[in-house]
This record gives sequence, C-alpha cells and structure tokens, in this order.
Amino acid sequence: MAQLSDIANEFIRLEIEEFLERPEEIERNVALFNRVSPAMQDIAAALIDGDDVTVDRLTREALDGGVGALEIMDDGLIAGMGIVGIKFREGYVFVPEVLVSARAMKAGMAHIEPILAASGVEPIGTVIMGTVQGDLHDIGKNLCIMMLRGGGFTVIDLGVNTSPAEFVAAVEEHRAHLIGMSALLTTTMPNMAKTVEAFKDAGLRESVRFMVGGAPVTPEFGKDVGADGYGKDALACVELAKKLAVEVN
Amino acid sequence: MGSAWKGPAISPAKVKTKGENFTRLTGEWMTPRRRFLSALYGGRVDKVPAMTLSSVVTLDAMEIVDSWFPEAHLDAEKMARLAATAHEELGLDTIMPVFHSQLEADALDAATWWGTVDNWPATNDHVLTDPEDFKIPSDYLKRPSFKAVLGAIRLLRKRYPDVGIVGKVYGPWSVGYHLVGIENYLMDTILDPDKIRRYLEVMLPACMMSAHAQLEAGADAIMWADHANRELVSPETYRDFLLEMHKEVTVEMGGPSIFHCCGETTDRIDYFAEAGWDCFHFESQVDPHVAKEIAGDRMSLMGNINNPTTLFSGTYEDTYEACMKVLEAGINGIAPEGSVPLGTKIDVLRALADSVRDYSDTHRPDGRLVVHNPPPADHAAETD
Repeated sequence: MAQLSDIANEFIRLEIEEFLERPEEIERNVALFNRVSPAMQDIAAALIDGDDVTVDRLTREALDGGVGALEIMDDGLIAGMGIVGIKFREGYVFVPEVLVSARAMKAGMAHIEPILAASGVEPIGTVIMGTVQGDLHDIGKNLCIMMLRGGGFTVIDLGVNTSPAEFVAAVEEHRAHLIGMSALLTTTMPNMAKTVEAFKDAGLRESVRFMVGGAPVTPEFGKDVGADGYGKDALACVELAKKLAVEVN
Repeated sequence: MGSAWKGPAISPAKVKTKGENFTRLTGEWMTPRRRFLSALYGGRVDKVPAMTLSSVVTLDAMEIVDSWFPEAHLDAEKMARLAATAHEELGLDTIMPVFHSQLEADALDAATWWGTVDNWPATNDHVLTDPEDFKIPSDYLKRPSFKAVLGAIRLLRKRYPDVGIVGKVYGPWSVGYHLVGIENYLMDTILDPDKIRRYLEVMLPACMMSAHAQLEAGADAIMWADHANRELVSPETYRDFLLEMHKEVTVEMGGPSIFHCCGETTDRIDYFAEAGWDCFHFESQVDPHVAKEIAGDRMSLMGNINNPTTLFSGTYEDTYEACMKVLEAGINGIAPEGSVPLGTKIDVLRALADSVRDYSDTHRPDGRLVVHNPPPADHAAETD
C-alpha cells in the first residue's frame, strides 16, 4: 500500500498531511502522487503554491523531455488543482488563493491545449457555460470552465449577462446537451428559471441537462428553477457534469 | 384638559402572567423613524422594526407608482416615488432610495450599464490598474448618480419626516471591485497586498464624501457595504485590510452606521463588532442565534430574511413563518437579506410588516411579554 512518506516532493507530502482530512481523499492522493513522476509532483506543487512562472517552465521542460501532454495535464496540473479544490472546500484557502493557482494552471494549459486539440482526443461532452442575464460576475464560472476543460469536456463560454435566447442558440449551434448557469446575485438568480423556461418553449428541455451554481444558489433553489443538479464549487461542477453526461450521451 | 398625545391610539390592556398583573400597551407609540433608530442602537422599541436596508423594489411596485427601472436610477423624483413604496405599500419602517451598487463607482468614471426594466445596473468595464491613477473628480457629488440619490433623499426627508431614511455607501473594498475588477483585485491581496492597501487609502475619501453627503441630504443612517465575504476571502483578510480602516470610518462618518457584508459571515462578525459598526445587516446563511451570541451588546443585528427561497419563491405564509423564526432569535429588526429580485411578489413582502406587528403584540423584542410604562393618566382616562 502506498505511503505518504514515499512521495518524493516534500511540499506535496506536507499539503496532504496538513490539509486533507477525509480518509478516502488522503488515500486517493497518496496513491496518486506515489504513482506520478517527481517531475509531475513538482508541477503540482508549483501550481498549489500559485507560482505561474515555475509551472510555465516545468511544463515546457516536461514536454521537451518527451512527457505526453495528457500526462502533464492529469498528473501535474489537475492533480495539483485537486488539492487546491479540497483546501478551498474545507475553508483553508479562499478565492484569491484559488485564482492565483488557476493562473498557474492557465500558464501550463497554454502549452497543453494546442497539443491536445491537434491530437483529436474525444471530449466527454460539450458544456455551454454562462452567467445569467443581468449578472456580470464570472469568477466562479471561469473556475468551473477551467476545471471542466481539465476534466475532459469541451466548454463553450458565453461569458456574462447571457440571455435565455443566447443559451438556446448556443445549444443548437454546438449540439450540446449540458448547460451550466451561474449567478452571484439574489436579484439575478430568477433568470435561471427564465432560461429553463426558454428551453421548454423551444422544445429542447428533454434533450439537455442544467447545472446551476453561484454563491447564493442552493440545491433547493436549483430544484425550484427546474435544474438537474447543483454544484457547490468547481470540483463539484466537474463531478456533476460527468454524472449528467452519462444521462444524455 | 385634553391629552397632548397626537399619535395613534394606545390601548392599555391587563395581562396576567406568572401571577403578576401589569399593563401592556397594544398600540404603537413610536414613529417608524424613532423605532428604527432606537433599534439600530439596540434600544427600547414598541415593536421590532421591519425594514428595508437594501432595495425592495419590485416590478409590482414600479407599476403601482408608474416609476420604472432604469429611469428611476437617475431621476430623483422617480427614485423617491419608487423607494417610498417600501413604506406606503409594504408598511416598512424605513425607505432606502439607493437601489443599485453603482453610486460611487459611476461617479468615479466606471463604465456603468444602467440595466433594463427587469435587470439591475452593473459595472461593465474596469478603469483602474494603478492606485496612483485614482482621482476624485471635482464634480464628483454633482454627477448624475449622486444628483439623483441626493435629490431623492431630500425629497423623501421632506415627505416622510417620521420614516427612517437609509443611505447606502459602497466602501473602498467594494468600489475596488468595480474600478479594478474583482479578479485582479482579489489576486493582488496575495500577490501585491501593499497595492491593495494603497487602493483602499486613495478610495476611502470618495466613500466618506458619499456618506457625508447622504447624511447632509437627510439620511438617518448609512448602510456601508464592503464585500469581504466568506465566499471570497478569509476573515483574516478582513482583519488585515479593513478592520483598522473601518474603525476610523465608524468614528468619522458622523451618523449611525449599518454594515453589510454578503453571505456566511459568522467567522467575521466578531471583527465587525470590533470595528465599531452600530449595526450589522446580515444574510440568512448566518444563524441569527449564533450571530447574537457573537455580537452581544456591542452591535445590533438586522436582516436575515432569505431572498431567493423565502421571498422570491415562497408564499406569504412561508415568509411570515420565516420572519417569526428570526424574531424568536431576538435580533433588533428584520429585513430582506439584500436587494430582492424584481419579480418578487408585493403581497409576499407584506408579510414582513405583518409578522412584526403580530409578534410584537405578544412579545417584547427580547422575547418576553411587553411591559411598558403606563400612558399619562389623562390619556388613559380617554382610552379606557
């Protein structure tokens, strides 16, 4: 059985020891970081630390050294972001720390994405993401998009202030079955319901699944507006998208 | 010789409890303004105030007074008329004319989208990357957003001398979100904290000017919002960046202060009390019993009625019941937790005032039966 002490990177060891509490998450991460190479551990550690310059350099060096893009994404970038996500969920870090780590992830993905796009890897599904009409807040949505792309989805980002008609048009254009709606304001949350209604009017409701999220949004409110699932944070969003993708594929 | 009393009728009634007889007044003896201000300072009230400390504007209200978004944001008369529905239609003890969050940012050259009839204004472009570039325009308080708000406060003060008028200021932390952009702003709390401190330093005078101007125009109190909430930053971030500044604000503002911070704020209420805010307007994610335990007598507590589930999606009965639960916690006043969705039904919002009326008929704000001094003898004779 993999041991924490066998992980080469000291920073990763300390992160797992100090911040992970759930036995299954400790076990999973100890196994993961025991499996991945020291170079990938270094990328993950730099990402957790929010060091975009180091992530950029290490990603380039790994690619130059013949490591596959998919391996760097899964074993370095996403593995590191997984630890950040757990720390965020547990309240050890807050949005600024996540944003700084996300910036580091972006620095690595800038090298990875073109390679993956050219290799023809099939995505799990296509997700249409947008902040609902009247709402210009996009931090949470952008974090979800980054994690969804890292999780193997193609994401069409409609940006902020997205009208119901724009959601419908995007689903038709991209033949997508998953929709993610975000809202930060209690004043704009009702526009989630309007968007679901627009899909009913267009005769598309049965062929799509709605995910909702945002600081004031609750699972109960999600049900009220007719959504198919609620994600508390970016990690939960990816898990939910994977579950709903099975239903519509 | 008749009574000097000119207010609403007072009906003393004998109530027996725990073997004691005492007089209970079922009538209201405070004006809404006096009730609001007394509660704000944690004082004696005839009933718990039901208030708006944010916007309670709805499409229903716009129709009733024929004053519509977005015009009402930049027209003093339309703003005043629409804001007054909080008292006229909902029976609330306060009126809050600043519906949006763009007041200071717009006057500081942020690009404002003023919204539509059913959508709120927002800042759609960020103009600042260096605190040294920040300037307060010479005509800052005369710009359209201020002209409308200050004009509306003057009109409301004149028309409603007995109703609480609440002004609203976005503090430098929240103005920073508008001017710098929230993502860059939050990242710099880690990457360049001195830059954030400098932003706060240069923006604070603009926020204080806004507070002073609204108080001079006739506002009874200022609701000051700085969104250092748990969904975004740690309690230590509030402590390290804002606590000392807010201690100055609460002293220098020159009027009663209500602090607003969104979301689950339990872990920072102690800091808010330490800052010296007179009152904290808090959201439904915070357990009012816990909030009261933390705040103690240092700061009063108002708000706590959930917007999306209770007021927007719920019924009158749901809201009435939710209000009763919050009142049982013994907070100083109830209000929607933030600006209510425009599609909220006006009949549902009426449960706010109805619930405090019914609750206060049998309870004091601290949860005990009402015990007031008896009315003057000549008045008692009139009403007996």
